[in-house]
Amino acid sequence: MQKATINRRHFLKLSSTAAGALAIGFMLPGLPALALPGEDCTFLSPNAYVRIDTRGKVTIYVAKQESGQGIDTALPMIVAEEMDVDFKDVQAEIAPYGTLKEGEHDTGGSQSVMGMYTTLRNAGAVVKAMLISAAAKVWNTSVSNCAADKGEVVNTVTMQRIRYGELVCAAARLPVPKAVTLKNPKDFTLIGKPEKRSGLKDILTGKTKYGIDLKIDGMLYAVAERCPVLDGVLVSVDDAAARKVAGVVNVVSYKGTGAPMHVRAGVAVIATNIWSAMKARKLLSITWDEGKKNNESTEALFKTFETLAGGPPAIEVFKKGNVKKNAGTNEVTAAYAEPFLAHATMEPVNFIASVKGDRCELWGGLQLPDWTVNTIAETFAFKKENIKVNLAAMGGAFGRRLHFDFAIEAVNIARQTDKPVQLLWERTDDIRCQPYRPANYHLLKATADKKGNLVSWQHHVLGTPIAYMTEGTDTKNAPEMDGANSGFCYAVPNIFTGYTPVDFNQNRGWLRSVDICVNTFPVESFMDEIAQRLNKDPLAFRLSLLENRPDFKTGDDPGANVQSPSRIAGVLKLAAEKIGWKDPRKPNHFIGLATHSFIFAKSYAAHAIEIELLAPKKFRITRVVAAIDCGIVINPDGLLNQMEGGLAFALTQALKGEITVSKSRVVQDGFFSYELLRYDEMPPVEIHIADSKEEPGGVGEVGLSTVAPALCNALAAAGDRPRTLPIRNEGFSWV
Amino acid sequence: MPDFSLNVNNTPYTVAVEADMPLLWVLRDVLGLTGTKYGCGVASCGACTVMMDGNAVLACQRPVGTCVNKKIITIEGLSDDGSHPVQQAWLKAGVPQCGYCQPGQMMAAAALLSKNKNPTPEAISAAMSENLCRCGTYHRIKSAIQLAIKALNP
Repeated sequence: MQKATINRRHFLKLSSTAAGALAIGFMLPGLPALALPGEDCTFLSPNAYVRIDTRGKVTIYVAKQESGQGIDTALPMIVAEEMDVDFKDVQAEIAPYGTLKEGEHDTGGSQSVMGMYTTLRNAGAVVKAMLISAAAKVWNTSVSNCAADKGEVVNTVTMQRIRYGELVCAAARLPVPKAVTLKNPKDFTLIGKPEKRSGLKDILTGKTKYGIDLKIDGMLYAVAERCPVLDGVLVSVDDAAARKVAGVVNVVSYKGTGAPMHVRAGVAVIATNIWSAMKARKLLSITWDEGKKNNESTEALFKTFETLAGGPPAIEVFKKGNVKKNAGTNEVTAAYAEPFLAHATMEPVNFIASVKGDRCELWGGLQLPDWTVNTIAETFAFKKENIKVNLAAMGGAFGRRLHFDFAIEAVNIARQTDKPVQLLWERTDDIRCQPYRPANYHLLKATADKKGNLVSWQHHVLGTPIAYMTEGTDTKNAPEMDGANSGFCYAVPNIFTGYTPVDFNQNRGWLRSVDICVNTFPVESFMDEIAQRLNKDPLAFRLSLLENRPDFKTGDDPGANVQSPSRIAGVLKLAAEKIGWKDPRKPNHFIGLATHSFIFAKSYAAHAIEIELLAPKKFRITRVVAAIDCGIVINPDGLLNQMEGGLAFALTQALKGEITVSKSRVVQDGFFSYELLRYDEMPPVEIHIADSKEEPGGVGEVGLSTVAPALCNALAAAGDRPRTLPIRNEGFSWV
Repeated sequence: MPDFSLNVNNTPYTVAVEADMPLLWVLRDVLGLTGTKYGCGVASCGACTVMMDGNAVLACQRPVGTCVNKKIITIEGLSDDGSHPVQQAWLKAGVPQCGYCQPGQMMAAAALLSKNKNPTPEAISAAMSENLCRCGTYHRIKSAIQLAIKALNP
C-alpha cells in the first residue's frame, strides 16, 4: 500500500505563497508609488491596494476575482476600516493584472478574506499613518495629538480638523512607514456591519460588464465543436457547408492537450457575429479518432467502485490505533455514492484573445490568472511579459474558472486570425465538456463496545482524482479526496482512512466545497446511522464525541490544519437549539442534523433541516436552520447571502444534480437534463451566526456540505434513508 | 440582408441582419445592449428575459423577424436610473451575488407586476420559476418581490 504524503488540494498548494503573504504588494506599473511633491501632486498610493486623491476619493483595488462571493465589498471594508474612511466614499476596482505579486490574484478555496486580512489591514493603516503624520507636521504637533476620524484627521488638543484629501500631497512626501499599529478589533466600526455590495447599481441596471459582454475593436466571434471523447484526435473535417453561412470568416482546428487542462481537440467557426458561428457549427461534418477509452460509462464506474470498496484501499490516508481491535462487536456498515457534477455557471465560460506576432492580449474572467499566463506562455512560446491580461467580472465561477482550458482554446483560435476573437462556450459545451466534480463512493464501518462507546471507524473512499487530470496518473497527490482525514473530528480511538483512485476518461476539477462536501455527506449520514443502531440521540451522540475535546492538528507537517471540535460542536448546538430539536414536533415532521468544519477556511457550519413527510419518499422541506462560526465577520450581509445561496447550491446536489456518462460521452447537454434548483423549490431558511473573536475564516464554501446529510438524516428519521445522491435516483420526490 | 425596424426601450432602430437571428443577439451584438444575457439559447434558464408588449419573453427564442412593431423593453430601459420599483426592491434586499441572471430575474418580476400589482404566491412562483440562479439568490428574490409589491401598493 502506498502511503500518502500530500493531502491538500492542489490549487491551494499552488496559491499558498500568496495566501499567507503579509508583505505589502507591488506598486501599480506606470504610476509613481507616491504622488510627486508640489504642483503635480494628485494622489497618494503607498501600496497596490489603495489610492487616495486630493479630493479625498478613495479607490481600493481588489486583489481577488469577483464571481458573486462579495469580496469586492469585504476586502475594501478591511482596508477602509483601518483607514477610518466613510465606506460611501470608497470605490472598489479590480486590481489590474500585473500589479500584484505572483499568486496574489488567485481566487479559490474560500481563502480571499483569510489570506488578505492582515495584508489589507496593514495597507489601510499605512495610509492612515501617513495622513496623520502629515497633519502633525501641518499643526506642528506630535502624532500622538492626532487621530483619524471618518476621512479627517483631528487635532485632539485644539479639535481642529483637516480632510484626508487636503493632506494627500503632504503625506506623499513622507516615507512609507515600515510598521504600523493595527486597530483593536473591539474598536472596529465598519467590519461586522452589513454593507451592500459594491457595484450593485451597475448590476441592477445591466451595466456590469462580464467577460461575455466585452467588445474589442474589430473583434470576431467563435464557437467550437469539440471531440466528444476526452483526449480524442481530429481526423478530418468537411467545412464546405459551414463556410457558406453568411458572416463566417474562417473555420480552424486545434489540437487537444493532456494535463493540466485537458483541452479537447476542436474545430472552431469564426464569424462576424456569434449567431452565424452557431449556425455554421451545426453544419460541420467531423471525423474524430476517439482513442481507446471511448466506451466508458458511469454505470460501470460505480460497479467498479462497489467491487473495489470491499478490498484494501490503494492508499493509506490516515491511521490511528488498530481498527481490527473490536471487529465484529456492534458493527455498523454502510456505503454511499455521489455522482459527477457540473459547475454550470450562469455566464458560460468565454474568453477573448488577440495574437499579434509575438504578443498576446487576453480578456476574461479567471480564478488563477498567473497559472493561466504561465501555461499560455509555455504552450505558445510567448514571453510572459508579452502577454497582457485584462481581468473581467465573472458571472459565477464555483471553481470552473480555476481551469483555463477555454483560454488556451481562445489563443489557439486567435493565433489563426489577425483579429481579436471571442470564444463562447454554448451551454451544451458547458454541460458536456467541462472539468466535473469527481464521482465518488464511500464504504464506512464502525464498531462500538458493549456500553455503546464508539471504538473504531473505517472509511474507504473511492474516487476519480482531480490530480490524475492535472498531474497525470503517476501523481503522488491522488488522495486529494482525503476522506474523513480532512475534517474528521469525532473522538474515536481507532481510525483508518484509505483511498482508492480509479481512472476515468472525463476531465475533473474543483467544484465549490470540493472534498469537504464529498466527505461530509457520508460521514454525517453514518454518524446518524450509528446513533440509531446504538439507540442514542443523534445530537447528544455527536456532542459526546466533540465537546471537551481540545483543538488538534490534522497532520505532522508544520502547515497542517488545526481542527476545533468545540467549534464544530458549537455550531451544531446553535442549529439544534434554533430549530427546536428538543421541542415536540408536528405530526409527520422530522428533523435531521449535520455539522462540519470547512477546515481549509477555518470556518464551521451546521444545518438542521425539517421535512414534512407527505407520502412514503415524498416530502416538503418546511424549515432550514443554518449556524455558522467563521470567526470575525467582515460583512454579515455578504455572509448571509453566501449561506442562503450555498443552501440552494447544495440542494441542487442533494436532490437532482447529476452528470452521467455513456460510451465516454456525457449524457446531459443543458439545463433540461442537468437541472438546477428553481425558485419554487427554495425552502424557508434562517441563518444564525456564532459570536466569535477568532481571526476571520472563509465563507464561500462553508454553507454547502451539511445540507445533503441533514436532509438525508431527516428523511431517515421519517423512515427511508437515501445513501445515493441525488436522492431522486432512490425514488424520492418533493414539493 | 433584410432591414428590420425595432422599437427598443422607446428608441427606434433599423438593423440589417439575417431574419432568423434571435432578438438576444441583435440586442447584444448589434445594438450593444449587453444587459440581456445569454444563458442557454434554448429557453431553459430565463437569463435573456425581456419585455415585449408588456409580456416577459425569452429573447433567445424570438427571431428578429417576429419582433417588428413590438415594444421591447430591456433591463437598460426598465428605468433611466435604476429607479423602477423592482430595481429598488432588488437593491434594498441586496439580491445579487454574481448578478449575471438578475436582469432576467428583474424583467420577469417587472412583467408580472406590470399586469398584477398584488400577485398571489402561486402566481409569483409560476412567473419566477423559469429563471435560474446558480448562486441561489431565490431567498432574496422572494423578499425583493414582496418589497416591490409593497412599494406598488402604498
